[in-house]
Amino acid sequence: MLEIAPLAVAGIDLATGTAAVNGMVSGLPVCIAPAAPLTRWSLRARDAGALSAAIGRALPDRIGVVIDGIARLGPDEWYALLPEGTVLPGGAGLPVSVVEVTARAVGFTVEGAGAVAALARGCPLDLAGFAPGRATRTVFETVEVQIWATAPETYHVEVWRSFAPWLWHSLAAGLALTAGLD
Amino acid sequence: MILIHCPYCEEDRPEVEFTYGGQAHIARPLDPAALDDAEWESFLYIRSNPRGRHAERWRHAHGCARFFNAIRDTVTDRFEVTYKAGEQAPDGAAR
Ligand SMILES: [Zn+2]
Repeated sequence: MLEIAPLAVAGIDLATGTAAVNGMVSGLPVCIAPAAPLTRWSLRARDAGALSAAIGRALPDRIGVVIDGIARLGPDEWYALLPEGTVLPGGAGLPVSVVEVTARAVGFTVEGAGAVAALARGCPLDLAGFAPGRATRTVFETVEVQIWATAPETYHVEVWRSFAPWLWHSLAAGLALTAGLD
Repeated sequence: MILIHCPYCEEDRPEVEFTYGGQAHIARPLDPAALDDAEWESFLYIRSNPRGRHAERWRHAHGCARFFNAIRDTVTDRFEVTYKAGEQAPDGAAR
């Protein structure tokens, strides 16, 4: 009979109350922790100007860049990570889509001198040149994530809620495993 | 790991972020009902399968999520060039 490891199901409530995990990757310290509660908005528009006017905020021009908590993910797609409870005007009547998606994703912070190495275990992106102020969608192993470089050696990882337990345990297992090898 | 240049992100990105989308520059019939069976079959199913340069669609699914086009060599797997959807294939590209 197929047995499902406890790790695969036990983390379903990790959005609240999961303690930070400290460890080493490649001999460098890393701390992973659930991010503070945030409000998330998915923003879509062909015309960036119309969207910017609708929500009353500046939007980054370049894909992969963040301005004031809003990342440009694609030619017609932005994603906002804002303080909990922030409400954006909906842009009624305008050719834009402004949708709150707070409950869709969970955020983790990966912090420390070994943060790049911890993420590089599962993410093939070249993070060496991924400076603070950048954000992008990418993959960790087979799971789609967003990685935001929020400060030096500090990354915010967004992942869809149903994948979050797996990602959390994968990151935590990486810290433990490599700590044993160092 | 192959790096693929996304013309929207303007970056070389890892292959696992992309999905393949079949042959590029297949014109969708403007009036499908006017096609006979052979023409409809050709539109739906008949594709080139070259040994060498091939114009094909790719999607940066786990990145900017956009479809774009590429000229790739099916023997070496080398990407010669990538360009935005709607742009002309470069001169000499396989069609
Ligand atoms: Zn892209």
